[in-house]
Amino acid sequence: MKHYLKTILGLLIGSVLVFAFSSNTIADSHKRVDRLRAAIIGDESTINPFTYVTGEPGWNILMMQYDSLYTLGIDGQPQPWLVTKLVRSADRLTYTLTLRDDVYYNDGKKLTAHDVKFTFDYLTKYPVGRFAKDIRGFSSANVLNDYKIEIHLKKPRAGYVRKAFADVPIFPRHIWSEVTDPKKHQFESVTNVGSGPYIMVDYKPDQYYRLKANHKYFAGTPRVEELILVKFADESSSHAAFRTNSVDILFKNIPPEQISMLKGIKGVSIVQGPLFTTQLVIMNYDHKPFHMVEVRKAIAYAIDRQKLVDTIYLGAATVGSNGWIHPKSPYFNNQVKTRYNLAKAKSLLDSVGIKDTDGDGIREYEGKPMAFELITPNNNALRLRLAELIKGKLLDVGIKITVGSVEQNTWEGAVWPDFDVNKGRNYAMSMWGWSAGVQADTFRAPELVHSNTGVGFLNLTGVSNKEIDRISNLMDTEDVLARRVELVKQLQAAIAEEMPFITLMYPDGPYAYWSSKYDGLAYISGQGIVNKLSFIPKSAWP
Amino acid sequence: MRSSRGNRILEYLVVFVIAVSLNFFLPRLMPGNPLALLAGVDVGLMTPEEKAKVKEEAGLDRPLWEQYIDYWNDLLHGDFGYSYKQKAPITKMIGDRLPWTLLITGSSLIISAIFGVIFGAISAWNRAKPVDIGLLWTMILMGSMPTFWLGMMLISIVSVDLQLLPSFGAMTPAFFGTFWESVADVASHTILPVITLSVWSIPGVYLTMRYTMLSVLGADFIRTARSKGLSEKTVLFRHVVRNSLAPVVTVLAIRLGFAFGGTVVVETVFSYPGLGRLIFESVSGRDYPVLQATFLVITVAVLVSNILADMLYPLLDPRAKAN
Repeated sequence: MKHYLKTILGLLIGSVLVFAFSSNTIADSHKRVDRLRAAIIGDESTINPFTYVTGEPGWNILMMQYDSLYTLGIDGQPQPWLVTKLVRSADRLTYTLTLRDDVYYNDGKKLTAHDVKFTFDYLTKYPVGRFAKDIRGFSSANVLNDYKIEIHLKKPRAGYVRKAFADVPIFPRHIWSEVTDPKKHQFESVTNVGSGPYIMVDYKPDQYYRLKANHKYFAGTPRVEELILVKFADESSSHAAFRTNSVDILFKNIPPEQISMLKGIKGVSIVQGPLFTTQLVIMNYDHKPFHMVEVRKAIAYAIDRQKLVDTIYLGAATVGSNGWIHPKSPYFNNQVKTRYNLAKAKSLLDSVGIKDTDGDGIREYEGKPMAFELITPNNNALRLRLAELIKGKLLDVGIKITVGSVEQNTWEGAVWPDFDVNKGRNYAMSMWGWSAGVQADTFRAPELVHSNTGVGFLNLTGVSNKEIDRISNLMDTEDVLARRVELVKQLQAAIAEEMPFITLMYPDGPYAYWSSKYDGLAYISGQGIVNKLSFIPKSAWP
Repeated sequence: MRSSRGNRILEYLVVFVIAVSLNFFLPRLMPGNPLALLAGVDVGLMTPEEKAKVKEEAGLDRPLWEQYIDYWNDLLHGDFGYSYKQKAPITKMIGDRLPWTLLITGSSLIISAIFGVIFGAISAWNRAKPVDIGLLWTMILMGSMPTFWLGMMLISIVSVDLQLLPSFGAMTPAFFGTFWESVADVASHTILPVITLSVWSIPGVYLTMRYTMLSVLGADFIRTARSKGLSEKTVLFRHVVRNSLAPVVTVLAIRLGFAFGGTVVVETVFSYPGLGRLIFESVSGRDYPVLQATFLVITVAVLVSNILADMLYPLLDPRAKAN
């Protein structure tokens, strides 16, 4: 009997372990592959820290060639990478980092603390979008020895490990110290000197990048010898190429309607998980009557988000929370309720005197019909479809919507002129969405809602709420995680009460790949499947 | 005569100056700005000071007229500058893409010239007969098919279902074959874009040829030729077709100019690495320097092809010279 119990117990533990390890990875066949082809959209130029173009896939490809002090682990959280030890001073102004001593650039030179100092100093001198923001607050760096360095900040900055250490590539001093105009500098070779698992050996504009495995990579030889990143003009042509097996991986997540079709192809697998991107409806507080919380709440009640998820996303999304934060986040406040209730929507509008006085089915506010334009970019079919369905639902409560489909740059210019919220807003209602970084880092929520635009530099609606500001200010100075979590939960409740925007949904990231060709990809939430971990030995994962 | 030629040159110069000025102003009149390209995708996370610095580096903080003068200055020195998006010299970017564009647009131009002229001549020679009506309807159908739709249909049927030809690109990524294998590879990638372009392009040449030839067929000198007892073959090739070619050559010459601009739709559908795709991406991102340079290429090509047509016309139709 004991023997059987032991066997059953062993099997159970084994199953749990298998399940635990396979939950975020697609499998690990340990098979080495000569060549893999991944489809990307657009051209990312020569992909060095100053020339890459987009966050995705640009930054992801950049980080195939470079390493950062920390890297995102399989759970999407920063894990030590070039660093073996980090000590933060009590005043949160100094980070002392001990580095690995076995990391080399692909030209044979060692990566040392001098390169780390150089990277931070150089990015301060020549700021480049993403990295300038990452290192904000950096004061100076002090090299203690070849593998030990102090990073000093001007003032404490919450989440500095994720923002700066897990995002900024450490580039070689011996190469870049000669460069005085980094954005325009043209290197003779296409090969960027980095320490990452891959070395770029060929670049054909608008055609492809060819990356070769770095056999001296400190974390082990990559399992794929050659990585071809094939550039496409749009998604549909990349999907056609995928179906003909001309590419093995689609870098970008696929639209919901493609899931079942691609699943039906033998040898193709789909992996799906939270993307941490969002679909929102935002309302301009300067455009009356959106300054009234009752109106914003009425619109939120009138939209059936579950139906939008089922109809437009075919279920491949999570219904949005009124408190902004994804329900799968460990910091989600489950007391915040999100409901669809047409009667409640109507009664809220009635309560502030917005009624249909002339019997045409459209309510009036200050004598004018409740008719607004909902703008959306014309290059995003899903958003356009969402806007059309929202238009129908709002008509049910007496609000007339005209969907304005405008060119991307025009749309951004109306909502976020010059990407500076201080420059006002030229819209009434708009579809909107934030990239994964804003949602994945829960503690960035104040950036969306703080009335001080220095903090709330993503406040596109013009919301100004004392309670939100108070909680946000506390979050900025609170360093104890448990207290910060409590504050972020309070903030979710305050956002739901204020309703500055309506979080419609959090789309899932379905990614397609030919598992018959390579089955060792790692899915990182918010990062997709083409990342460093997908190609290095699993034993080296942080 | 000499003063007439001088006037013509002056006209072209004025058109050039206006066109080049429009190339500068039109992109800047579009809503939105290129800040996202200049500063990177996280531009919204930058402070106003950081954004101001980015604008200053690109010279976008200066008055428009100063930028306009600089633009002319750079242009006259042959300096197209750097792309906001790719941070690469624009001359190189155009040089990388123009040959691919010319490969498909040039091939399609030749095909449309040959088939357009032949079908137009057959149609006109057999006016109102079933072959004419059949060709006319076919050409109208071809001309009204949207190129993006046709391209997608060809990809779906020929590439995805039948797996006969590649669906994207100018050559297989990272292909390392012999010279002839590379030629075959490039050719196989060219077929579908060229078919798509030609299907759209042949009807224009066909209709011009058919219309002109019908006019020529009714002319007195054709009746005279026939009354002299010349064979139908001689009448057709020596008198009718030859006299019908002048307007067709003009149409083709103008199309040759536009061929340099690429074809945005076809290059996008087939992810073809040409100039049209570059223009499309530059318009979307407000990459002013690239737009200016690519539009300049088109401007110059169209003007040169017009000059070419002006010079060719009198050779094909001596009456133009006499006038």
